[in-house]
Amino acid sequence: MPLWAMLCLLAVILLGAMLASLTLGYRVYGLDQVLAALTAFDSSEAHVVIANLRLPRALMAPVVGAGLGMAGVLVQTLSRNRIASPDTLGLNAGAAFAVVLASTVLGVSSMVGLSLASALGALLTALLVFGIAATAGGLSPIRIVLVGVTIAGLFHALVEVILTTNEAQLQQLLFWLAGAFVDRPMALVANGAPIMLVGALLAASLARALDALQADDTTAHGLGVPLGLIRAVAFLAISLLTGAAVAMAGPVSFVGLVVPHAARRLVGLRHGRQLAAAALLGAIYATLADVLARFVIFPGEAPVGAVTAVVGGVVLLALLMRRAA
Amino acid sequence: MDKRLAVESLSVAYGQAKVLDAISLAIPDGKITVLAGPNGCGKSTLLRAIRRLHTPRSGRVLLGDTDVAKLSDRDLARQIGLLAQSPSAPEDMLVEELVRLGRYPHQSMLQPWSPKDADALEAAMFGTGVAHLRDRRLGSLSGGQLQRVWIAMVLAQETSVICLDEPVNHLDMAHQIDCLDLVSRLNGEHGRTVVLVLHDLNLAARYADRLVFLKNGAVVAEGSPRELMDETLIARVFDIQCRVIEDPVHERPMCIPMRNSSPRFSA
Amino acid sequence: MKPAVKLAQLSRGMGALIGIAAVFVVLALAGVAFGSTWIPIDQVAGVILGGGDKTQQIIILQLRLPRVVAAILAGGAMGVAGYLLQKITRNTLASPGVLGVIDGAALGVVLFLALLSDESNALVTSIAWQPVAAAIGALTAIALVFILSGRQASSAIRLLLFGIAIAAVAKAITMVMMLVGPIYRTSQAARWIAGAVNEVNWGEIQITAIALVPVMALVFLAARKLPPADLDEVSARGVGLNLPLFRIAIFVLSAVLTALAVAFVGGIGFIGLMAPHLARLLVGRSITIGILGSFLVGAVMLVGADLIVRVLFAPLEVPAGTVTAVIGTPYFLFLLMRKGRTHG
Repeated sequence: MPLWAMLCLLAVILLGAMLASLTLGYRVYGLDQVLAALTAFDSSEAHVVIANLRLPRALMAPVVGAGLGMAGVLVQTLSRNRIASPDTLGLNAGAAFAVVLASTVLGVSSMVGLSLASALGALLTALLVFGIAATAGGLSPIRIVLVGVTIAGLFHALVEVILTTNEAQLQQLLFWLAGAFVDRPMALVANGAPIMLVGALLAASLARALDALQADDTTAHGLGVPLGLIRAVAFLAISLLTGAAVAMAGPVSFVGLVVPHAARRLVGLRHGRQLAAAALLGAIYATLADVLARFVIFPGEAPVGAVTAVVGGVVLLALLMRRAA
Repeated sequence: MDKRLAVESLSVAYGQAKVLDAISLAIPDGKITVLAGPNGCGKSTLLRAIRRLHTPRSGRVLLGDTDVAKLSDRDLARQIGLLAQSPSAPEDMLVEELVRLGRYPHQSMLQPWSPKDADALEAAMFGTGVAHLRDRRLGSLSGGQLQRVWIAMVLAQETSVICLDEPVNHLDMAHQIDCLDLVSRLNGEHGRTVVLVLHDLNLAARYADRLVFLKNGAVVAEGSPRELMDETLIARVFDIQCRVIEDPVHERPMCIPMRNSSPRFSA
Repeated sequence: MKPAVKLAQLSRGMGALIGIAAVFVVLALAGVAFGSTWIPIDQVAGVILGGGDKTQQIIILQLRLPRVVAAILAGGAMGVAGYLLQKITRNTLASPGVLGVIDGAALGVVLFLALLSDESNALVTSIAWQPVAAAIGALTAIALVFILSGRQASSAIRLLLFGIAIAAVAKAITMVMMLVGPIYRTSQAARWIAGAVNEVNWGEIQITAIALVPVMALVFLAARKLPPADLDEVSARGVGLNLPLFRIAIFVLSAVLTALAVAFVGGIGFIGLMAPHLARLLVGRSITIGILGSFLVGAVMLVGADLIVRVLFAPLEVPAGTVTAVIGTPYFLFLLMRKGRTHG
């Protein structure tokens, strides 16, 4: 299937997923009601639910999913490691820790401030993990992941310390910590999306250089790729994408792990296509997971991160078993 | 424009250890030059220094009148291509995707893929006989095929100089000859200057127009294979006694290593 | 090995063991003595032996002694669990924490609490079954890790990755279960997952201690077979040891110990990593002494961590497990880096 056809198909599927997100849930609404709520809003209960509760999450999920999907592509190429991802390298945890620290200890409350804190957390964690890898003379891919997961565990422990001192908000914070699109105001999407867009544009500009980076360092160098510069920009892009995603929805796990594999299967390794496919697939995956999260413990809401963790964990197991990693 | 490659008093060091000691060498245009020598003599380092993968302690590498240190990454990549010693790429990468990488230094943001790029890609794949493999994954290729694909990538770069760092070490005999014949043909048909690092002295003698012996980071001798394939010289450089005879098929000198009079390993 | 050398090693090991035991006693007493009011050690001893005044009795017997004893039992059990795992996988990176065992145990406990509580959130069955639930969860996790990894199990690093995946799934399900329950249970569970000794009561301690006795007896029994386990399967059979079966037995013991440690105390995984290392450094390679050493060092670590929490963070109840995580993480990374350097 030619590339444009594939991307169009994915876009259509995404639209379908978003419609599902608007119609399905504790109450199931019809398409006509959804359209009416969006175009001719009257203050009926259905319209309120659709416009104020469902719409933000229907918009947030694809944005976060796309961002994490693209970040995953960057991480996997940069580390030449197919089981790396923003969460297995601890970036999500670092970003989450930064957000919790900023809001509880430093009192930051603006969305933009939290997003930037989140991005900074992701960046510093990335530097830490890759730095440890470099000083040990280049750890093997598996070891880098172990380092990342361990660091993630540390950040989780630290976050829990901060949380246990904040009893009142504990359940709410726990929910966010698992990754959730529910109960998030529209403003978050509006504020986080621009940061994510910058990250996406940076990523797109790196596409050709990333193609060359898939080969070994010497070859890439020989092709004239400015390795240091490309890696620095890539780090920045990863941090912005991950940071914005975590600030919006908390650390949603394993999206950045699973999506790049699927993207590669569908469109091949060239990064222009891989990034586009990963964005669309990530958006679809996150939206569908969000819909699923409404039903797994019906009538309660499960955090979407729990759904992606279970799916992602199973996929990781499958990858390990097939030695695809 | 004179694009002749030359090395002037080049010294490269890793920390305190001097790997290349004030080497001066002229690489003849349009010919195959082979760098040979015992392990650790610095032949790979010299090749990589030519391609500016190392920053020299002193001295310089010249392309025509230009010091390569002054060229941008992109410009340099358009003049000198390098096939690394153990190159690697993802197993699920397609042949065409790998050869494409060779066009990286030519692509620009505004026009990522021009007809010129497409032509170069096709020429490279056909020139190395891998065009029929274009949709295959790298992991499904044999060693010999894979090496051809890497050469195709370097060919697609359309550089006037091609450097190859021990390109046949891991190949079996048939594929060694296959690969070097290909390199020889590329040199003959396309007039590319080739600088090769080879481990095997006989292969070096067979394919080189010009041979360079290195030892301990210095050039010991350079000249035609016939001049350098001398029993005394080989003993001095490679630390082995040998008999030099004439290869009757290719009319090149050939060296037969003799049993070591002073064995290096105890029995 | 020459008998003279072996004897020398043994006596050195014994000496170190006695040293650790001494530290252990001191720390335990300090753990009881320290608090918002410092109670001198002689008076502590007095209360334990039956005397002392009423307030002191309450403070020591209701508040401080339980947490110290809980820390001793949990830390010790965890230390031995880690020792067994490292011995049988022949890899010093293995520990119950990284093989997903603890997350499995956590899931077991949370499921137990969620499924076996009635509407008023009281348990329908005795709390004595909680460690059993933890054990089932722990065993399931470790079984999955080994079944799914199949032949790849020989590489410790790949094994850890399987553990990570299983742990992620278990954690996610635990999270969901926690959110389904009432709020007080969520906070209790969150604290427990972080690893806290301060909310354990005497009843739970009794259960743990009672269960620990037969398990430790089994451990010492199995320990006698450990040296031949270093051989390959055929040679091991030659000296009468069924290696695959023995391996499974050791894993089961390790998982059960972990479950016991974690059932009431929560996530103290790093003790299972660090205690055996420290013990081996101090007491050498003898197995029986190694087990005892791991127990004592693990106990010392957890009592110490709890003490640190009380000294530094009072009146905040920071989970002791966090301290072990904060110390254990850089240590684990250091280990990884060292291995990376030597083995590439």
